[in-house]
Amino acid sequence: MREEVAISAERRSIRRRVRVPFPNWATLINYARRAIPLLTVIAVLFTLWEGSKRLFDISDQKLPHVGDIIAVFAVRTQGGAGPLLIVQMLNNAWATFGVAFGGFVFGGLLGFALALLFANVRLLERGLMPYVIGSQTVPILAIAPMVVVGLSSMGAPVWIAKAVVAAYLTFFPVTIGMLRGLRATAPTEVDLLRSYAANTRQVFFKLRLPAALPYLFASLKIAATASVIGAIVAELPAGSTHGIGVVIINAAQYYNSRPPALFAAVLVAGLVGLCFYGLVILAERLIIPAGLRREE
Amino acid sequence: MTAAVISVDRVSKIYAGSNTVTALRDVSLEIAPGEFIALIGPSGCGKSTLMRLIGDLEQPSSGAIRVKGKSPRQSRLDRDYGIVFQSPVLYEWRTVRKNVELPLEVMGFAGHDRQERARAMLQLVGLGDFGEAYPWQLSGGMQQRVSIARALAFNPSILLMDEPFGALDEMTRERMQSELLNIWGDTGTGTTIIFVTHSISEAVFLSDRVVVMSPRPGRIDRVVPIDLPRPRDITTRESPRFFELITQVRESLREM
Repeated sequence: MREEVAISAERRSIRRRVRVPFPNWATLINYARRAIPLLTVIAVLFTLWEGSKRLFDISDQKLPHVGDIIAVFAVRTQGGAGPLLIVQMLNNAWATFGVAFGGFVFGGLLGFALALLFANVRLLERGLMPYVIGSQTVPILAIAPMVVVGLSSMGAPVWIAKAVVAAYLTFFPVTIGMLRGLRATAPTEVDLLRSYAANTRQVFFKLRLPAALPYLFASLKIAATASVIGAIVAELPAGSTHGIGVVIINAAQYYNSRPPALFAAVLVAGLVGLCFYGLVILAERLIIPAGLRREE
Repeated sequence: MTAAVISVDRVSKIYAGSNTVTALRDVSLEIAPGEFIALIGPSGCGKSTLMRLIGDLEQPSSGAIRVKGKSPRQSRLDRDYGIVFQSPVLYEWRTVRKNVELPLEVMGFAGHDRQERARAMLQLVGLGDFGEAYPWQLSGGMQQRVSIARALAFNPSILLMDEPFGALDEMTRERMQSELLNIWGDTGTGTTIIFVTHSISEAVFLSDRVVVMSPRPGRIDRVVPIDLPRPRDITTRESPRFFELITQVRESLREM
């Protein structure tokens, strides 16, 4: 049949894509091609940064040179006796990442549970949704100290208190995205399973959950970066000893003596969020079958 | 006539609401085992509703439906129905084979049995090579064939088809009709088919009886017996009797 010929050509191209051995020229060239836009943006940013310094005569105190920011990573801490600044920052970033991850998992589960609850009980959605939305309009900066101090005084480990702040930011997008996903099934898709006399559990695992996954991952990507913000904000109240948030605070305090350090700290904080985002994308690729990604 | 496999007795369906709609009023119909019934009529005549009532996807407001001597609900729980909708309703995260296996998974068939049946069904609808493709990689006609394979996979005794070829172009449509008759003949176990359509030629070509329905309120106007010999093929479409019957159905539709 004619349509089958066209389809089989497409299928062949898909098979070829799958069976390509990893290190070959086509893949390498493809990677290089993908890197071009990224490198271009970096070059443009660099030019804008250094150009505006020159053009508007901005002092090094206000806007350090890009080179100085990079160079500060290689400075030894503790007056030359400690590890490199980059090592110290990455250690702190790792601590923040741990807290963010804890909050991400906790907030993700909470959001998932709320979405399940709301999807099944309309009354609960009507009653609780305003508070869920309201919770996100309260500035996190005001909530964080209360949570951290409050939970710590109740004897909870500090990292848990911080993770709760991160979870506070992450449960919301997950609730909204998952709820939307759980409602994304067409009536006929449910009718189909009904006609097989499927039970509620089967309807959930064979239809509702897989149909919701793309929505879930979209919201997890937002949640991933939000959890890093939450973790950093939770490190700001006095008493924290490590975390990239602490590094940022310290660098801000000593800004006058070493401006590039603050920029470097912010750069590392951004890196944490980026890595987390990348992890979610990786998980998405592992869970959602490759054949579904039609645009690639 | 042998005992009816499906009997619809003075069934009404009323959708209450701000403007109450009487989708069906006093509909009665007896369907024999292994019969191919076409439901035809303009939109709003309740033909899909009647199909959904028989399949227990909705409940009648009054009247009674018996399927194989049981309530429609019991028949649904006994997995007597295979349903094909107007759109293929394939789960896009499943491969073609896994879509055909879906009812078998729900019904607890063993793994190797599932694969065996899915392969056989895909072979039957001419898609033997496409088991590992995803639905989006297939054309509309091929997708609908997958949904037919899925409906047949667990060997249901009653096939409910709601305008299954409605979205296809005329050429594909005619080919699918012939294929459906072939498959129906091949299964050989006397599957009863209720086929909803708004195409007169489709209804006449496929069925043993065409049930002509009219709207507001939805009701059965006339039942036209189709005495075209089987197996039917391209020569059936060109026979004078085919055109006579089409005219007959068209006139019943016009009289309402």
